[in-house]
Amino acid sequence: MASSTTSNVYIHVIEDVINKVRDEFVNNGGPGETILNELQALWEMKMVQAEAIFPTTERNSAAKATPGGPITTPVHDLNMPYEGGEEYETPTADILFPPTPLQTPLPGTAQTPLPGTVQTPLPGTAQTPLPGTADSSSLYNIPTGGTPFTPSDYSPLNDTGVAAEVKTGPGRPSPFMQPPSPWLNQRPPLDVNVAYVEGREEGDRGTSQQPMTQDFFMNSAGKRKREDFASQYHNGGYIPQQDGAADTIYDNTGEGSKIQLELVTPVQAAAYRIPQSDGPIPDAYDDALSTPNIYYQGVVNEDYNIVNTPAPHDMQAATPAPVPQNDDVDDDDEPLNENDDDELDDVDQGEDLNTAHLVLAQFDKVTRTKSRWKCTLKDGIMHINNKDILFNKANGEFDF
Amino acid sequence: MATFELYRRSTIGMCLTETLDEMVSNGILSPEHAIQVLVQFDKSMTEALETQVKSKVTIKGHLHTYRFCDNVWTFILQDAVFKSEECQETVNRVKIVACDSKLLTQ
Repeated sequence: MASSTTSNVYIHVIEDVINKVRDEFVNNGGPGETILNELQALWEMKMVQAEAIFPTTERNSAAKATPGGPITTPVHDLNMPYEGGEEYETPTADILFPPTPLQTPLPGTAQTPLPGTVQTPLPGTAQTPLPGTADSSSLYNIPTGGTPFTPSDYSPLNDTGVAAEVKTGPGRPSPFMQPPSPWLNQRPPLDVNVAYVEGREEGDRGTSQQPMTQDFFMNSAGKRKREDFASQYHNGGYIPQQDGAADTIYDNTGEGSKIQLELVTPVQAAAYRIPQSDGPIPDAYDDALSTPNIYYQGVVNEDYNIVNTPAPHDMQAATPAPVPQNDDVDDDDEPLNENDDDELDDVDQGEDLNTAHLVLAQFDKVTRTKSRWKCTLKDGIMHINNKDILFNKANGEFDF
Repeated sequence: MATFELYRRSTIGMCLTETLDEMVSNGILSPEHAIQVLVQFDKSMTEALETQVKSKVTIKGHLHTYRFCDNVWTFILQDAVFKSEECQETVNRVKIVACDSKLLTQ
């Protein structure tokens, strides 16, 4: 909300700005008067939405500024893209599906279009998910025959598989992209609708159920692939490290036990891998007095927590192996969760910033006597308790 | 005439910036013209505050943080009270950003 004086000043500023840039817009091949009117209308609309100016006074001032016609038309122009953006949201959500109907003709018609469609999205949006898996597969030489990523090795089933993965690739980011930028999608929806109609026609001709079943199937397959990659990645991490590790540690590195380690209670985990991550230090010390082996483990435990105590050479070779392994396992889980939390935190912070109370002004003088601060401000805009208040002068007295 | 970009962070400035962003990303406005509009906004807003606004405000509160960097004072107040002729507002935390007024007259 804004007081009437604030609203009036804002409207004055808007008109002043628009009038003073008019020359630039109209002359010298500028964007022209219509764009300027659109700018003004959009600006005023945002101000009304932000409740910084009153819509009624805005309309009055708009009527004063220019005789009705030219203003109202751009207002319609403005509303169009906005309504359009909302209208097209449902279609754009359906745009996620067009790849599915589009995919249907692909196995039927030929394989040649596939690399084209697969490769086009790749450099654009879908690149992030794919190369990660592809790289890991190439790096660790995963022998899974079902997931070749080179186009030459395609079998028809794998073609659809890759296509399905690519589909999910561009499909996922787009829903996140849509809400923040309806304007960016303003033009694409029109084009995509055409593509959507085409895809639908083709999908109707073909069997529409096929892509769905393939979709689900390949989605699950995609998940399996990722899990495979992950486990193999870990195995790759384990194997070279096992070479230096003790036999007892080797027992722990089986796939089954690894999964168990993630699931078992800390006590069980401690029983498995001994003290590395779970065993509390005091327990280790108690045991350390009894057996030299456990003494080593106690040292290892200290190494894990604080890397101060030097371990014997034999153990030094062994300890670094399991410890990073555990870190890997933990890191694979925790950073994801941490990132999610961070994103949420950022959103919260953003909202806080938007609703933050803020004073923007110029200072004439700032003085301090002991902990007592005095300042004289002028020409300020305050945004406090969701109100915009302007001031010509302000005196501040603060206690530090 | 020197201007501050300070007021672009206000409600009216943010609305203008968003509008220009959308129009530029839509391709209907060149970035150069958008910047021209922003600069004109800096001038018009400063001028309007000088000529059109007469109100006075007193601010009291606990100074949590003060900072003076690049001729910009930043205060963060806690439990601040803003009094003007029209109203009185209390906020538990407010940030004040103030540029040096002498820079404008130079």
